[in-house]
Amino acid sequence: MIAGKLVEKAMARAEGAQASFVRTESSNIAFENDKLKSARSSQTTHLAVRVVLDGKIGSCSTTDSNDIDGVVAGAVEAAEFGSPAHFQFPGPREAQNVEVYDDAVPPVTREEMVVVCQEMLELIKGFNSEILVSASAGKSRSQVEFANSAGVGFTTETTSFGGGVSGVWVRGTDILWAGHGHSSKKRELDHLALSRKAVDLFRMAQNIAPVQSGEMPVVFSPEGMHVLLLSLRMGVNGKNVVLGASPLRGKLGQQIADAKFSVTDNPLIEYAAASSKYDAEGVPRQVTPIIRNGVLENFLYDLDAAGRASAQTTGHGIGCSPTNLVIGEGDTPYKQMIKDTKEGLLVHSVMGLGQGNPISGEFSVNVQLGYKIHDGEITGRVKDVMLAGNTYDALRNVEAVGDKAEWVGGALLAPPIKIGALSVVSD
Amino acid sequence: MRERMENALRKSDAEYAEIRLEEVTSSWVAFRGDELDSVGSCRNVGGIARALVRGGWGYATFNDLNDLETRVAEACESARIVGKEASSFAEVEPVVDATKAVLKKDFRAVSLSQKKSVVEDYNRIVLRKHDRIQTSDVGYSDSFRKVWYANTEGTYIEDERPDVTVRISATARDGDNVQRGFESAAGASGFQVAEGLHEKAENAAGRAVELLSAPSVKGGKYTVIVNPRLAGVFAHEAFGHLSEADFVHENDRMKDLMTLGKKFGPDLLDIIDDGSLPGRRGTHKYDDEGVKTRENYLIKDGVLVGRLHSRETAAKMGERPTGNARAVSYPFQPVVRMTNTYVDKGESRFDDMIADVKLGLYAVDMVGGQTSMEMFTFSAAYGYMIRNGAVAELVRDVVLTGNVFETLHNIDMLGDEVEWPSAGGGCGKGAQSPLPVGFGGPYVRIRNVVVGGR
Repeated sequence: MIAGKLVEKAMARAEGAQASFVRTESSNIAFENDKLKSARSSQTTHLAVRVVLDGKIGSCSTTDSNDIDGVVAGAVEAAEFGSPAHFQFPGPREAQNVEVYDDAVPPVTREEMVVVCQEMLELIKGFNSEILVSASAGKSRSQVEFANSAGVGFTTETTSFGGGVSGVWVRGTDILWAGHGHSSKKRELDHLALSRKAVDLFRMAQNIAPVQSGEMPVVFSPEGMHVLLLSLRMGVNGKNVVLGASPLRGKLGQQIADAKFSVTDNPLIEYAAASSKYDAEGVPRQVTPIIRNGVLENFLYDLDAAGRASAQTTGHGIGCSPTNLVIGEGDTPYKQMIKDTKEGLLVHSVMGLGQGNPISGEFSVNVQLGYKIHDGEITGRVKDVMLAGNTYDALRNVEAVGDKAEWVGGALLAPPIKIGALSVVSD
Repeated sequence: MRERMENALRKSDAEYAEIRLEEVTSSWVAFRGDELDSVGSCRNVGGIARALVRGGWGYATFNDLNDLETRVAEACESARIVGKEASSFAEVEPVVDATKAVLKKDFRAVSLSQKKSVVEDYNRIVLRKHDRIQTSDVGYSDSFRKVWYANTEGTYIEDERPDVTVRISATARDGDNVQRGFESAAGASGFQVAEGLHEKAENAAGRAVELLSAPSVKGGKYTVIVNPRLAGVFAHEAFGHLSEADFVHENDRMKDLMTLGKKFGPDLLDIIDDGSLPGRRGTHKYDDEGVKTRENYLIKDGVLVGRLHSRETAAKMGERPTGNARAVSYPFQPVVRMTNTYVDKGESRFDDMIADVKLGLYAVDMVGGQTSMEMFTFSAAYGYMIRNGAVAELVRDVVLTGNVFETLHNIDMLGDEVEWPSAGGGCGKGAQSPLPVGFGGPYVRIRNVVVGGR
């Protein structure tokens, strides 16, 4: 095992070490502008070492799998004046198993992937042949070796399979993009559902609907939930909490959102895109409730941030970032949510997210794909519209939560959510 | 290396094939708060073989450089599965060349501890600036990228692409109110790019504190003056991406919209992309298809006069290649990208630009931008209201939006000097990000800009 060898080499100098060795093979197919355009095959290798020397951390990585001595020497050099370690490498612990390998993925042929793309493409062309369609499908298989100086050593194999379809529809000077995609660790993929979703987005956008500037209720589709989750991801990041950069510091146990809002980090969902048995520090993954019924319950920690916060790692190494986020379902059917809205917006995707000061919770974004709701009905696409607000204010003003969550991309499971009022500025 | 690459390419049975290899060494030092956050280095080697058969592309990417012949064969086989029609690929003269990076101070000879001590100074400045400063994120990173490129037409190029970036971010806090001040510097000319940034550190921290008491900009439509450090992003998002021919070459309706000779802005407006400008962040002698970079006017006197091409899009549209096929790194194929994009200067002075503005917004420094071709956003680090011809109070959360078919026409004044901010970051397209690009421009005045806000 190469990871074990790296740790052994590192321990000649270091007082603690961890190492990983990842090999990945992947292949994908891409259609552009209605035509099969390219086929790709990839082979990657990656070695990474982290050492602690005199209480200080150093890291080094390389794609050159023969350079074991070089990568160890690089980590040791960095550690000589590295950042102080607030942790010790953990020993082996019982971990809950989670399915991350599907035997059905490796045998998928490129011809099958071409068919997946072709069928997605045809479904959209069937709706409207003027839409120029791009589509892709891909598979990969990785082997991860991990070892540390406290006796942890394991090898995991994972697979992934995914597809996506998007189209551009140009009418006069109106340029409309819409699409949908999904990936997971198993072969099973309802690719036609992805296309049907994209067709729905195009269908609702056939008319352009004017919007008056002002405060109005906003329904975020599951995809649109990224707008509200960006600040929250940064706010619950344990490192931001330790450093005081998070406005959520000191608020554990407090009501920070409407009681209808709950979100959980769950890396143990079978075959989900961000699922794994261990994190990148060899710590068993666990389910972490972040907000339950509006109450902030946990931050996400890796070993070092947990050490600084006098907390326990939650298995979010390295970097305290979420895995699969699951937003709790409510009791309002999506159709009812639209029907109950007299004047408002349905927001699907935005531009400019994260370019201001996202950790503060503030957002100010262009509604790249969104729709006008008038008298309980979607009347068309909105354009040249800016949406602004504060994530934390918005989460306290949740009017309704959808009763059915959907996968977005592969690592977010979210229902639509209606916020009472946000600021809209239109042209 | 040349011989190995050319031997491997001889096995190609495609119409065209190429190999691009890279060795990248990089290092970084980052502080967050008063503690060092991470120090490290990495060395990556890898490559891509690309083959063209009947209009279809095959790509094989790899980290192991030992079996280039097999990778070329894989790429050819992939291309054969795909190709169904005649290929379009513009002719260019083969070239053999090797360019060496010119570094005033070679950062590869600078020890990690020296790199650390430079940013440690900036970090100290940020943290000591004010008692409202909560934390910091101050980092140094460098990379030295050696690129080998060979194709079946006899082109062989060796290139060196160094980059040094410093980012200085200060976080100030007052209760739940958390604000950030940000500065960066980046360049290809050596370690000195990272030195002497003490004033930037002061500014980042000072601004974070000032923004604590600044109100969010009130949403609405304003006359906006963007400073030169924001004008380049405006040019990039508002028009640069739309001029990338891969969005146009197979879309007849886009071709109609983007017919050369069409008026897109006022007579005073010129927008240029130029990968051959000395010393800019998006500068290279050749693009990643071995095509020489050059000055490309996109808009001249308000009229669309050109667009950016790869060899494929140029052939499809019957235009000349422009040297804009770029790949962010070895696992990626080249796609049509900008290099250094700028709005050319006009004749106005800043004071004249604000003089007749009753209520407007002066938007300062870039945070970023995004486009969906027709609509775009660009975000300022901060701004000031303009009231009765004078710069007034500081405002935050300044994000502007526009529509390419309207906003450019609303430009009515341009400053008399083009500036090129030394900023880090880069451009993203598809999965390829961040690609170093240059942004430049003068002060630009734009009427009726929609500004988001509460």
